[in-house]
Amino acid sequence: MRWRLTKAEPGHPMTEVDSAYQEDVSKSVLLAKVEDLIAWSRSNSIWPFNFGLSCCYVEMATAFTSRHDISRFGSEVIRATPRQADLIVVSGTVFRKMGPVLQHLYDQLLEPRWVISMGSCANSGGMYDIYSVVQGADKFLPVDVYVPGCPPRPEALLYGITLLQQAVADNPRPLSWTVDHDGRDVHVTRNPPSQRDLKTPQRIEVTELAEPTSVGDAPLSDDLLRSKASRGS
Amino acid sequence: MSEAVLQPAADTVAGLLQARLGPGCVHQNTVDGIPTVWIPESRIVDALTYLKTGIDRPFNLLFDLSAVDERLREHRAGLPQADFTVFYHLMSLDRDEDIRIKVGLSGEFPHVDSVTGVFANANWYEREAWDMFGITFDGHPNLTRILTPPLWEGHPLRKEHPARATEMDPYKMTQEFQDAQQESLRFDPAEWGMTAHAAHTDFMFLNLGPNHPSVHGVFRIALQLDGEVIIDAVPDIGYHHRGAEKMGERQSWHTYIPYTDRIDYLGGVMNNLPYVMAVEMMAGIEVPPRAQYIRIMLAELFRISSHLVFYGTFAQDVGQMSPVFYMFADRERLFSIIEAITGGRMHPSWFRIGGVCQDLPEGWDTMVRDFVDYMPARMDHYEKMAMQNSILKQRSVGVGQYSTEEALEWGITGPSLRATGCDWDLRRKRPYGGYDQFDFEIPVADGGDVYDRARVRIEEIRQSLRIIRQCVDNMPSGPYKATHPQTTPPPKERTMQDIETLIHHFLNVSWGPVVPPSECCMMIEATKGWNSYYLTSDGGGMSYRTRIRTPSFPALQMIPLISNGFMIADLIAIIASIDFVMADVDR
Repeated sequence: MRWRLTKAEPGHPMTEVDSAYQEDVSKSVLLAKVEDLIAWSRSNSIWPFNFGLSCCYVEMATAFTSRHDISRFGSEVIRATPRQADLIVVSGTVFRKMGPVLQHLYDQLLEPRWVISMGSCANSGGMYDIYSVVQGADKFLPVDVYVPGCPPRPEALLYGITLLQQAVADNPRPLSWTVDHDGRDVHVTRNPPSQRDLKTPQRIEVTELAEPTSVGDAPLSDDLLRSKASRGS
Repeated sequence: MSEAVLQPAADTVAGLLQARLGPGCVHQNTVDGIPTVWIPESRIVDALTYLKTGIDRPFNLLFDLSAVDERLREHRAGLPQADFTVFYHLMSLDRDEDIRIKVGLSGEFPHVDSVTGVFANANWYEREAWDMFGITFDGHPNLTRILTPPLWEGHPLRKEHPARATEMDPYKMTQEFQDAQQESLRFDPAEWGMTAHAAHTDFMFLNLGPNHPSVHGVFRIALQLDGEVIIDAVPDIGYHHRGAEKMGERQSWHTYIPYTDRIDYLGGVMNNLPYVMAVEMMAGIEVPPRAQYIRIMLAELFRISSHLVFYGTFAQDVGQMSPVFYMFADRERLFSIIEAITGGRMHPSWFRIGGVCQDLPEGWDTMVRDFVDYMPARMDHYEKMAMQNSILKQRSVGVGQYSTEEALEWGITGPSLRATGCDWDLRRKRPYGGYDQFDFEIPVADGGDVYDRARVRIEEIRQSLRIIRQCVDNMPSGPYKATHPQTTPPPKERTMQDIETLIHHFLNVSWGPVVPPSECCMMIEATKGWNSYYLTSDGGGMSYRTRIRTPSFPALQMIPLISNGFMIADLIAIIASIDFVMADVDR
């Protein structure tokens, strides 16, 4: 809120007062379609299901802890039951023995629901082209965002969540699903843009990479940490 | 087998066994020096009973049991004819000795007597061998699938079974398939000899898992309950079976290293260690001192990392919400070191056959020193916050107790064994890879309960910090990789200067090293207990058989024994105290 002093002068209309009033209104009144509003609020409060398969789950859990703090993106409320969650992160290897269980859990998520495939195994089977592993969660689940890595860093998962948030806000899903002639959910984006393709031009501009011969900016050597340690002892 | 087959001295265990069983025993020489005796298949129960009860300082630990499909093996001169071999790796802690008993079996789907009557933990190992090889163990109480789904067809570790998913039919999730699979997983109490009623009560059956926040991964336990009290429990595993042993038969010796990282996925490079050491032993590679120190330092950093995850999740499982955030924050600091040195976080795959991937980066010592200076104060803080908390104590003291004898009977090793008063730590008792040069203590507790298992691990963090500090103080100079021709990848410096080195480098990088026909088992004190890789080379660029013995597998088998009679909430504390990851169970 800005405050101004306006001198009342005859012959001069009080335009300043008008603009302050307008500003106030624009800050407290929002005009939007209800579905846009719902999409906006949904995108900022995606509740993930507490589900993990293997190594990636540890990095997913790390994303919930202090340094990465997923609550900055409104997604720290992990739910122990699929009925209260709207996102399942398939974090880890999709095993043949686990597949039917995963499908069962997915079916229990309430609509609208989203799927993040986290890590190479969930994306494609990764390095496990082996008899007991399903070659990607998308063999039976509609995946919205693929997060690459083995395992992906927590930051990568956070990035995946922000991408999902954009998708949720831009492409709202109805409460009931609609299928096309092939029985596929029409609201699932079939070919989401690949971030790799989008970023390639900017990446090829980097021509000099540092040799891994030095530790670089070591976060542990900062004085803050030292002083904390000495205080504690 | 190119090694000569020897006759053992009469006063050795192998000699005693020979005297008892008479002719028909064949003694095999292996690279690891473990006495290996082939005995007639009909005498297996007799032999194991004798070794466990008939001699002084007996072999009371069945360390490992599995099988080998021998049908395609070429280099086996001097060994008895066999289509399949079942091997039993026994240990005597009193003697500090191992013995490996083998029985050769003939036929497509052979039979052998079950040894579940001798060793309790043989139960799951025999189920696994049946599941993987189709070998029937006569007299086994419940020979059913353990790692593969109940409706699986075939036995994956047989040589004729396809290894790749892409060689098999594509995976399709139809409603019928899903229903059939889910139905096959339904728990049937009668199958496990459980009744639904007793004289004055009706039992309830509860299915915990395979997805449950407190079972640490995809693990399921079916519980028989009287009210909230556990009458019996049936652990069900196999939801995390990644076929790591089969994978070893198609990856080159070098390219298998990344798969080892993912066995105990909290242990990182610790998993590389037994594998590369076994290959080095078979190839005859001496690792330079600097590489040994670097390996030990990183392995101990990962021990701390793994124990920190244990510490935080343990506190959380018994109801403390905050500690896990502190421990994970410290784990991030530790990972910043791992990242600076290896470039990776959880799975650096950084050890190499003959050394490590690259030399330590400039400035590593400051980082590591800062960390070891910083951690002790944090540990003191956590001690007050978690371990001295009276609710945590009440939840864990006296819960899930077992004795040293019970631990050995069930194959429990590592911190969970040392919590019962047994001071066996492989780093001390059988120093490997340079551990004999370090000064550290072996934390031991004597209660054998949940609290003590946590206590031992926490003390181990402090001891690991001590070892790491010694690494920083005494890091030797010199090469980080051996000059042996089988070192992979070979040193690159001279490859562009003479043709011999270039050829050598090319072959070793493109085909990978070729390991002479031999067998070797290397065990280490991993984060969760004793982890061993038992490798069989048939003289090729790939392993003929890779057997991974993990500490978590037997630990889960023991859950019914230590949780019956307790409440469900206690079971959660017990599970937390075991400190397992499912990849380390199902591999």
